[in-house]
Amino acid sequence: MRTGIVFDIREFSIHDGPGLRTTVFLKGCPLRCAWCHNPEGLMAEPQLLDTPSGTRTSGRPYTSAELARQLNRQADLLRTGEGGVTFSGGEPLLQAAFVAEVLDQLEPLHVVLDTSGFGDEAGFCTLAERVDLVYFDLKLMDSGLHRRYTGQGNEPVLRNLKHLAALTTPCVIRVPLVPGITDTEANLSAIAGAAAEVPHLVRVDLLRYNRAAGGKYASCGMEFRPQWDESQPVRPTTHAFDAAGVAVTIC
Amino acid sequence: MNQRLEAMRERVRDRVHAACRRADAPDVLGECESLGLSWTRRAARLTRRMCEAEQPVIEADQRIVFTRTMPRIPPIYSAADATRLTAGRTVHELGPISNICASWGRLLSQGLLARRAVATATSARCAGDPAVVEFLAAAVETIDAVLDLARRYSEAARVLGRLELAAILEHVPAHPPRTFHEALQSQRLMHAAVWLSGHYHVGLGRFDQYMWPYLEADLRAGRLDESGAEELLAEFFISLNRDADLHPGVQQGDNGQSLMLGGVTRDGRCGINPLTAMVLRVARDVAMIDPKINLRITKDTDLELLTLAAELTAQGLGFPQYSNDDVVIPALAAHGYELEDARDYTVAACWEFIIPGRGMEVVNIGAVSMPAAVDVAVRAGLAAGETFEAILDRVEVEMREQVDRAVSRYRRLLLPPAPYYSVLMEGCLESGRDLSQGLKYNNFGVHGACSASAADALAAVRKLVFVERLVTPAELIEALDTNFAGHDRLRQKLLEAPKVGNHDDEADDLLVTLFDRFAAACEAAGANGRGGIVRPGSGSAMYYVWLATGHAGMQEPVVGATADGRRAAEYFSANLAPSPGIRAGGPISVLQSFSKLDYRRVCNGGPITLELSDAVFGDGQALRKVALLVRSFATLGCQQLQLNTINVAKLQDAKRHPERHRNLIVRVWGWSGYFCELAEPYQDHVIARHAFDM
Repeated sequence: MRTGIVFDIREFSIHDGPGLRTTVFLKGCPLRCAWCHNPEGLMAEPQLLDTPSGTRTSGRPYTSAELARQLNRQADLLRTGEGGVTFSGGEPLLQAAFVAEVLDQLEPLHVVLDTSGFGDEAGFCTLAERVDLVYFDLKLMDSGLHRRYTGQGNEPVLRNLKHLAALTTPCVIRVPLVPGITDTEANLSAIAGAAAEVPHLVRVDLLRYNRAAGGKYASCGMEFRPQWDESQPVRPTTHAFDAAGVAVTIC
Repeated sequence: MNQRLEAMRERVRDRVHAACRRADAPDVLGECESLGLSWTRRAARLTRRMCEAEQPVIEADQRIVFTRTMPRIPPIYSAADATRLTAGRTVHELGPISNICASWGRLLSQGLLARRAVATATSARCAGDPAVVEFLAAAVETIDAVLDLARRYSEAARVLGRLELAAILEHVPAHPPRTFHEALQSQRLMHAAVWLSGHYHVGLGRFDQYMWPYLEADLRAGRLDESGAEELLAEFFISLNRDADLHPGVQQGDNGQSLMLGGVTRDGRCGINPLTAMVLRVARDVAMIDPKINLRITKDTDLELLTLAAELTAQGLGFPQYSNDDVVIPALAAHGYELEDARDYTVAACWEFIIPGRGMEVVNIGAVSMPAAVDVAVRAGLAAGETFEAILDRVEVEMREQVDRAVSRYRRLLLPPAPYYSVLMEGCLESGRDLSQGLKYNNFGVHGACSASAADALAAVRKLVFVERLVTPAELIEALDTNFAGHDRLRQKLLEAPKVGNHDDEADDLLVTLFDRFAAACEAAGANGRGGIVRPGSGSAMYYVWLATGHAGMQEPVVGATADGRRAAEYFSANLAPSPGIRAGGPISVLQSFSKLDYRRVCNGGPITLELSDAVFGDGQALRKVALLVRSFATLGCQQLQLNTINVAKLQDAKRHPERHRNLIVRVWGWSGYFCELAEPYQDHVIARHAFDM
């Protein structure tokens, strides 16, 4: 049986899918997005956080059976609450085999995979095929800029997007709006174009920049260095999506 | 809310009307002494003189009137006589009748003149019984006083050329209202007169049930449209806030102006009507601390209604508070309430279930400090080398002693005669008996306070001392005695032991045990001396502070450091909520933990208290999701739920800059108040509560 590292299990997670929902945050991420608001999800191993209310360990190992059991205890409520479970991170694809094993043992529940799309293709396809809804991040369509702001080129993301387009799983493309970086006309148009190619796309979510993004860095012994003007308003323009005939919401 | 109402609300918030208040009070005592009046007659005379002393205040834009101008309630006995009168007896709280609910529906539908006719008829029938004759004469005196107050308001309206208002006040509360407007005006006056008589925590009962017939008739006849009705309702709600600062309570806002919505009718049909949703909409828009809204639901309640209710929660009003009919009605029925009455329940000031017009219950005779009971039992049991099961038996003994202490105090309860309040209840005028002599239901209620901490302490002892044997009894007692000084590692272990709020049976089963044994202690207390029983509850009221720090005059025991790792003087959680500072799973786990209680036995009420961060409401689907959370509370078979929205940063700023946040409302323990009007311990407690965000 596989073991995964989880840094949080959050109940009543409003933003991670439909209905009453519990989100599992898997620890470890291959990207280093400059705007990441969840730095405790970056490192794959458990780590000691030094928070204002004392130190605590972030990340604990779960066997797939243990995690499934814990989630199954809420299954009835989540189902009648028109919701289910979301696997997020960090990056769940880094622990794709573990997540798949949890799914094997999960009661029938609506499952969302919330991913950056950056990860092994086989792992992505296995999970994306099995879940009920995929939340797929598209950050920057220009690979150079993607590398500059996330530490990696976007090729694996775009490859997985193509795979996703070939599946029947409904999906939502999510775009974090970072002032002057992802909210540019060119980037949003390119994303709209890519989104239009995904047949089972439900909608595109434009996520407003989280001004509290830097909040948890000190606790993780890291420094938050935004390379943009945080006070600058984002430009959540939807016309590129409207033009491409893609449903869009601003969250 | 139109401009007229917004201006009115602003004036009420600024207490402009307080300029009408007088510093003096009628000399009722002198009159009572010189006439040598009985207690009953003195109580009636107080109502009469207070009503007479009231000067009509009619603001140009008011359509529903009454503004209190006599803030002080004068004494009716000298201090020495009052002491003599109550010697050897227990006086509940401040003394006057409080925390019950009138039969507003019957009162409105009959009018005060019809009630007066009942009194005279009974008096003629019982002419040979001087006590009955005297009580009824006193009751009539109070009715006449309220009618005279209405008459003077009517005259004042006429002088001002407010002919419509004058006509309304000529008709009500003497007669049954002909319109929704008249019903609201009638209720305003009759309710205000209860406060004027010195009573407090005056509930409003099942408002949508008794008010709907008047509104429905207006709507049918085309006399009123929905927006006109909402405007009247909003004005009525604003009017309930006019005198709220004069109402006595532990803290400002703790005034018991609770209002119940929804549920079933006395014959078991669905009681939800168009006024139910209208009250929710209007309360949301008025956004003041009164009235405090309660909503009766079941697992099948319409999600649309729950979503509307969630809008009030989103506003941060701290209400509605929900109760689950599927659980409450059978529990009341199991405790001797007739099914029809059980279906008719409302709440007292905070959450205690009572029957309008039919209960002279004292639902808060005190608290059992569960942490103190556990502390005594753990220390004694460990010192004696006992098993864990034996410690649990000791806990029950301790709780039983605390219950018995409270009940034996209250077996000597002396309730003062309350002729005016008796007019408003079922059967008093018909039987010629004052409500202080008892109504249909006369139970006592005891709060089982600070239960999560007590269960956590037991869970820690069981795991660390008995199962894993990582801590010796001597170490634990030494650590508790020294408030953990030099015992940081031991305290850390205690903190890491299982805690209530994680749907973890290792802690939850002890919570269940505590309440089962508390219920057994209340059952063992037997008859309460007033023809009732002792109802166990799960609320804490202010005891989450008092049991930790002590309070002048408090009878309940104070506890120091506790075996859950809590340091001495640290506050407990309010009602049913995970202990402060622990990592609780989240709202679903919290509901699952508290769903395990046997609420059929624990029927006095006391809500699961959940705090949501206001960040939750940033999402367009959030209201519906909150509604789904409320539905799952009912699905799980929980009893009562209080859902609050807080923004910690805003609360902290309000502490520093109260002037910027004077309208900031928070739920305190069973009621909503203005944050800046709370004493600091209560402010700090709200800030420190678990706020579940996204």
